[in-house]
Amino acid sequence: MDLIWIVFAAAAAVAVTGLATAWAQGRIGPAVAASLAEKPELATTAIILVAIPETMVILGFVVAVMILLRGVG
Amino acid sequence: MIIEMARVRIAGPRAQLDPALRLLQDIGDLHLIAPPADAVPGQPGGRSPRLARHLRRVLEDVDAALAALPAGVARAPMPASRPALPQAARWVRRLRRELSGLARERAALAEEQALLLQYRAFFEAFGPLLQRTPRWSDARASFVLLRAGAGAAVAELEQRVRAVAGARVEMHARALPSGEIAVLMLASGSAAAEVERLLSAARLDELPAPRSLGESNLLSALPALQARLAAVEGELAANDARRADIAAEARGELEALQAELHDLLLLAEARAQARTGELLFVLEGWLPGPAVAPLRGRIARELGPEIVVATVGTEPWTRADAPVALANPRLFRPFELITRAFPLPRYGSIDPTPFVAIFFPMFFGLMLGDVGYGVLLAGIAAIVRRRSRPGGNVRAVAEMALGCALFAIVFGVLFGEVFGTLGAAIGMRPLMFDREHALGPFLMFTIALGAVHVVLGLVLAVIGAWRQGHRRQAIGRGITIAMIALSALALLAAFQVLPARLFTPAAIAVLIAFPVLVALEGIIAVVELMSAFGHILSYARIMALGTASLMLAIVANRMVGAMGSVAVGVAFALLFHLVNFAIGLFSPTIHALRLHYVEFFGEFYSPGGAAYRPFTHWRPARSLGNPA
Repeated sequence: MDLIWIVFAAAAAVAVTGLATAWAQGRIGPAVAASLAEKPELATTAIILVAIPETMVILGFVVAVMILLRGVG
Repeated sequence: MIIEMARVRIAGPRAQLDPALRLLQDIGDLHLIAPPADAVPGQPGGRSPRLARHLRRVLEDVDAALAALPAGVARAPMPASRPALPQAARWVRRLRRELSGLARERAALAEEQALLLQYRAFFEAFGPLLQRTPRWSDARASFVLLRAGAGAAVAELEQRVRAVAGARVEMHARALPSGEIAVLMLASGSAAAEVERLLSAARLDELPAPRSLGESNLLSALPALQARLAAVEGELAANDARRADIAAEARGELEALQAELHDLLLLAEARAQARTGELLFVLEGWLPGPAVAPLRGRIARELGPEIVVATVGTEPWTRADAPVALANPRLFRPFELITRAFPLPRYGSIDPTPFVAIFFPMFFGLMLGDVGYGVLLAGIAAIVRRRSRPGGNVRAVAEMALGCALFAIVFGVLFGEVFGTLGAAIGMRPLMFDREHALGPFLMFTIALGAVHVVLGLVLAVIGAWRQGHRRQAIGRGITIAMIALSALALLAAFQVLPARLFTPAAIAVLIAFPVLVALEGIIAVVELMSAFGHILSYARIMALGTASLMLAIVANRMVGAMGSVAVGVAFALLFHLVNFAIGLFSPTIHALRLHYVEFFGEFYSPGGAAYRPFTHWRPARSLGNPA
């Protein structure tokens, strides 16, 4: 039973942060694309802006790995 | 690194201003600025808007003439002497008019030719029929074009034509190469009107004869049409020949004139930067420190001792005004492309290029970490490098990719990976750790690497702040470094990686350092400290992406045995490896860039430097991939 909860917690850590990242990127992406159409020189800023929310899912992944490592084995 | 700049002031007799400016343009080292009005007497150098307007107008003519010239024509040798500017301006204006006239004529001829060629299919389909003597002396021809696949409509049309005109009309249908069906109807004079009404009722438009021939009937227009087509081809050839002649004769001269006009405009702008009095002129500018002595020597040699070059040392100027030029060792130079994507660093701050050149390919290699993919990337990068021009952006990207491939191979050897788990099949063993199973050590390694990278950024921030005289800020950053190190020490002691007795002194030291940090930098320092810890954790993405890349490679390898047929399995595995390779190029690049731009540069980078633009001769801009 514990194993189920451990796996569920690990999955939730990735899923929730993944959804949050998707939501943030979904809002940033169109805005950045519109800015790039007018100012192509903002490409570097665009990369940074789109990549920033990915931190959430990456930290979620790290948390999931730690849950699995400590819980399963 | 940022080149050390020296600020010089050049003064001399006013009559020598233009020769001095021409010599400075030849030398091409001095980044001109306006001398400060409070330090240098005199008036700002004269602008001549009328002259500049005139030069720009002539330049516009030259650009338009060059754009109208056909490409790929061998150029004739340049004449030994060139006309003076007023004559050259008149010549260019005439040339531009002639070329635009020729271009208009060519466009009209090409349009007419395209129209006439539409009829060629008709000539070829009905040529023999049209050549023979018509059955009726007053015969009239009607041409109709039916869409492809309208074969049934032809039979129906013939039936209806026969019904109204009987034997007074001949109808022929031919399939054209385009698939359309061409229909020719030859009707006697008495049946022509009925045929016309029938076509109109059936909503079939007759193909009209070209208006330029002045004939309404295509049958009578045919000879004229053929003759006109031949004439148009001749006129087009003559037009092309004339333009090619002009290109061969004038291109070299036009390009030389273009360069001269640009140079004159630059000279006019430089003259406006000078300050002039009744007798003297003063120029001021920046140039690399080692270039001062050669500049002084050349001015003395070519213009005489009346012109004085002095290094400005005592005036109230700040280093922040100096323009910025980057100069890095050959191996690091391609990575300037990453630094240049950001606004240039301020003069006196730190150029991060050498650090980018080491850490960017290292992070990329850690994420890809596979000998197979690394060799593949190295091969592609070597081909691109070979095909690119030296000094261009494409060459720089290829050289960066070579560095990244090298690190991917090195880490591939350390992780024992060749296209995922194929390394184990050929006897390779992980020398560092197995990324498939050792997730914990891999995570710790990437976070430790992040700590090193962020602390390096903070060390650079300390150096930068100290150099610029912001001692308080430098000490604050130093304490942040100490707090990160002490926190790491306390954590390692808490998890018993280090002796547990170290925990208490480390924790007490953190508690003492904290109020000192707040006292030095204010409450914002707390936010910055937390953000530094966040930045360190952000390096966990290296482990996340590396593991994902490995897992995809493992899935690809397992396809060989999972598909039933070995051939199908191998094909799917190759396809999957290709997809993984493409992802493995894109994702690590984006994330390695982000780790530099956000986590590393965020600690110390001070943007806002003005680019070093020496006053020199104009050079034509080159396309991407070519040296500028």
